[in-house]
Amino acid sequence: MSRKYVAARVGVTVVMALAATLVVFLVAHFIPVDPIQAQLGDLASSKPEIVARYRAHWGLDKPLWEQYLIFLQKLSRGDLGQSIATRRPVLDDIKQYAPASFELGTLTIVLAVSVGIPLGVLAAIKRDGWLDHLARGVSLVGVSAPTFWLAFLALALFYGGLEIAPSPGRLDAGAMPPANFTGLYLIDSLVAGDLRTFASAFAHLLLPSIVLAATTTGVITRTTRASMLDTLDQDYIRTARAKGVREWGVLLRHALRNALIPIFTLGGVAYGQLLSGAVMTETIFAFPGMGRYAFQSAVVLDFPAISGITLIVGLTYLIVNLVVDLSYAVIDPRVVRR
Amino acid sequence: MIQAEVQAPALPMVFVESHAKRRLKRYWLPALGAAIVAVWAVVILVGPAILPYGPTAVDLTARLQPPSTAHLFGTDDLGRDVFSRVLLGARLSLPTGLAVVVIGGFLGIGIGGIAAYAGGKLEEGLMRTADVVLAFPPLILAMAIAAARGVGVGNAVLSLVAIWWPQYARLSRSLILVQRDQEYVQAAHALGHGAVRTLLRHILPNTAGPIVALLTLDVGNAIITFSSLSFLGLGAVPPTPEWGAMVAAGRLLINQWWVSGMPGLAILSVVLAFNFLGDGLRDWLDPRTRQR
Amino acid sequence: MNRCNTHRCVRSATILIGLLVLCLSVILGVGQAAAGAKTVLVLGTDISDTNSLDPQRQFVYSAPITEHAIYETLITMTPGNYKDAKPLLATAWETVENGAALVFHLRPNVKFVTGNPLTADDVKFTFERLKYLKDDASALAENIARVDVIDPLTVKVVLADKTQPLLPFLIAPNFGIVDSKIVKQQGGLSTPDADKNDKATAFLDQRSVGTGPYTLTRWSRSTEIELVRNPSYWRQPAAFERVLIRHIPDSATQVLQLKRGDIDAALNLTFDQLNSLRGTSGINIVKGQSLDFMYVAITSSPDLSQPLSNKLARQALMYGIDYDGIIKGLIGGDAIRPASFIPVGLGGSTTDLTREIGYRQDLDKARALLAQAGLPNGFAFDLSYGSGADVGGVSYEVVAQKLQADLARVKIQANLKPMEQGNLRTAYRKGDLAATITFWNPDAMDASLWADPTVQRVAKRVRWEPDTAAVALAKQAAGELNPQKRDALYVQFQKLLIDQANLCVLFQPVYSHAIRDNITGYQLTAAGWQVDLYDIKPR
Repeated sequence: MSRKYVAARVGVTVVMALAATLVVFLVAHFIPVDPIQAQLGDLASSKPEIVARYRAHWGLDKPLWEQYLIFLQKLSRGDLGQSIATRRPVLDDIKQYAPASFELGTLTIVLAVSVGIPLGVLAAIKRDGWLDHLARGVSLVGVSAPTFWLAFLALALFYGGLEIAPSPGRLDAGAMPPANFTGLYLIDSLVAGDLRTFASAFAHLLLPSIVLAATTTGVITRTTRASMLDTLDQDYIRTARAKGVREWGVLLRHALRNALIPIFTLGGVAYGQLLSGAVMTETIFAFPGMGRYAFQSAVVLDFPAISGITLIVGLTYLIVNLVVDLSYAVIDPRVVRR
Repeated sequence: MIQAEVQAPALPMVFVESHAKRRLKRYWLPALGAAIVAVWAVVILVGPAILPYGPTAVDLTARLQPPSTAHLFGTDDLGRDVFSRVLLGARLSLPTGLAVVVIGGFLGIGIGGIAAYAGGKLEEGLMRTADVVLAFPPLILAMAIAAARGVGVGNAVLSLVAIWWPQYARLSRSLILVQRDQEYVQAAHALGHGAVRTLLRHILPNTAGPIVALLTLDVGNAIITFSSLSFLGLGAVPPTPEWGAMVAAGRLLINQWWVSGMPGLAILSVVLAFNFLGDGLRDWLDPRTRQR
Repeated sequence: MNRCNTHRCVRSATILIGLLVLCLSVILGVGQAAAGAKTVLVLGTDISDTNSLDPQRQFVYSAPITEHAIYETLITMTPGNYKDAKPLLATAWETVENGAALVFHLRPNVKFVTGNPLTADDVKFTFERLKYLKDDASALAENIARVDVIDPLTVKVVLADKTQPLLPFLIAPNFGIVDSKIVKQQGGLSTPDADKNDKATAFLDQRSVGTGPYTLTRWSRSTEIELVRNPSYWRQPAAFERVLIRHIPDSATQVLQLKRGDIDAALNLTFDQLNSLRGTSGINIVKGQSLDFMYVAITSSPDLSQPLSNKLARQALMYGIDYDGIIKGLIGGDAIRPASFIPVGLGGSTTDLTREIGYRQDLDKARALLAQAGLPNGFAFDLSYGSGADVGGVSYEVVAQKLQADLARVKIQANLKPMEQGNLRTAYRKGDLAATITFWNPDAMDASLWADPTVQRVAKRVRWEPDTAAVALAKQAAGELNPQKRDALYVQFQKLLIDQANLCVLFQPVYSHAIRDNITGYQLTAAGWQVDLYDIKPR
């Protein structure tokens, strides 16, 4: 992959992310919700002075194009505006919620891939056997049961019933979070040398990750299986076997490698979705992440928050998909390099 | 090969028998899937005629009763018969789930195919658009569509289709990308086959596997996602029964598992059915596996 | 080549197994052990709406419970009695100048947690800051013209309109007295330009400077609020060293945490969840009658609904609703119902009055009224409500479906229109909805705070233009000093509202919190802060 291509891609990424915020801005103004009314208490909402003050503070009394221009101006200074609901800078909100979603999403995708790919490979080789049925069954349950169901079930079983999982939340009640460096508790606690907090943060991440991974594993298993079946049928596999390559080598170096592309593609999309948050899992596990923040901002039409979130989420998808696209040429020799 | 020829005279009888047996072994699951779909299709068609109770018959004295002979699936928090509601809910949930996946899926596959085949700036443009749509807050889109066009199931499906296609676009593009530079495609070109014909007859069967897998997986996902819109008043309006909404509504009733559980099992059955069917379809489409 | 593959396989397998072992040990190792002597109180509730802990700014549902424990007001009210103010930071008070002002005598020897003594200057600063911040809560201070310091322990509050009440407002946590010296140091202002130039909120969001039994040490948004005991509190020190108000947005999760003992109280459970906890050993249910309502606001505007613009049709609708069924069937009896828009417990409103003059289900009467209105075959209308929301654990959605079923029996067809919260508030407050199921909770503990809005802002929302007599009646009742006369006026007012039939109160809930039996003294209040944390002690 040429540097020029990557540079051009990055440039396009930034432009597209901004375009996304513009589209959201325009689309959101179609919605007849008044974020000030949604925010103010009943008594205050009837006081024109207070309403006017709020509107002026958030620039909602200006025409649309001017509002967007101000948004861009602030953005160029690194200021994403102030959230109408939380009354603090959107950037601060994102700095709190995005790392939580990052930790959760990353651990989830790691789990999903480490379980899903081997399971899918095995299902493909032992096709129509009991292992295939088991793998398919497991993956289907993960995908057809709504996440909030699985989440509560897992919590009730492992936390409530068996009492081996820690309480919902990123840390225990009253626990001091590690000194803020990245916002990722796992990293920050290691940087501070605080192993107890590391263990606690990890333990708190585990159950919600497993729940989220249930769905993603289903997708990855099925995709791996389908893709492997396609690959295993190819002539070059027969050639490799005929050449005397051992079965493991055939499977891993030839079949799986060529089957990876769709797995990477969907894995990338899934990772992006996970990083943008998972509102029901976050609610049930009291995990303050981007999912709930995005949802609550949308419902009350908190414009600054919505724009900020779209920007960040847009950049996330664009980066993840860029990495995935670049990886195609690396993993599969059949893809022509640009 | 020599051995096969020697045994040739005995082959015809043995071949037919084991062929059938092998077919059964391979296709019993898809057959089961088809059966389940057939049952639901009948339920949808016959629908209101076979309900034991009115699905909106509120009876607060019969709240939250467990499954019994009077109420096969128990009653919900307004005393309504869950069995009737599940049966009636099929009319809404199944078709909308299918519609979202089929329309969104095929739209995405088409866009991805065009992108992969066209290459260059068109490919870039389409794929980056897909990325942006993935990043778009789905709730805002649904709310905006509802504001512009009114609330209703059709508009909810529209909102979902609008956010559903990107992952199919990315998937199909990545798969076709691998194939388009292969020798057989070049050979097809040399033979004078047009782009679309090459795409449909040669490339697609080779790439159908993961796509069909995702399509069938997504049906349950679509039904559940549709319910999150209903939950916000943007889809099915209560008291219309809708599986996903019923599961969500019964979520907080920890001890009364049937309120959530029954519609949940209905969704599971549909997901299983379509997945089995999908696998069968895939096996049937693939020329290589058909021979075996 | 092949040996490398196997080697790699074995290596990756070992790593995987190692990770699994690590995970398991981490989980098991970090699994809780319960505490010994109880020094920490943990409450589980949803604090995501808390966007500030600055007492003069916060105006959301979940913040007062904290504010009431860290800041104190001059007067307060005890659970169940919302007519008589009790002394807190003020030991005595009187009305002067024919009702134009209130004079408060402050309690001597009270110190803020900062060490500074409480003086009249702090009261003046606090009240004026609330007024001039012109924020959400400032409407509470509207009737304060100015505050004068008479001497360090005496303060005079001058009313803007002496015919309107002020005293009941002052129990609100927004009037919690702050240490003016520290707040000024941090950029706080009580001058008329405070709305533009006050900078103390960021500080007050992280530290409290009040006189209360607890003090704020940490607020981690959407995670938890941490309070510690104030050692120099002027009464007996608080019973717990630490209080944690933990953010648990999901009620089902609250149930699990309560059962496991990780929280001592769960504040947001649904009716069915509370039912399932009844009889569980170690868990008690604490109930408290509230002054909140769930009510239906019905429009008078023919543009929104021709049938509903007819008073008789609205009355017919109200006779069609199965009020008792809702209260018994959906809430297990944990609610009462006022006659009209003044809650039971204030302004002469009692359950007897409801039986006397209030609506009840009477299908024949409903049908007769419909015939009289020229609608013998009923009519249809749109009923809006907030999706996913609930009042005291009873969801609007369930109530709406019940109403729909009830009204169908008199051929009134209610088309349900769930809306997301922002949309509903906007549309409702603009007066664009035909009928809305919504919620009312007190601005302050005085019947005028229910009566007055019905002829002012709520009237606008239902497109009712009350005649001058109605408005005058509300005003007269508000200004009447004699309690019996006042109650009589309010009863008259309620009869008017009942006849007008724009507002139909469905129920006034009894809130329930589930608590563990290792704590005692837990009492619910309707005054706005849910529970007084100071009262809670370990058993």
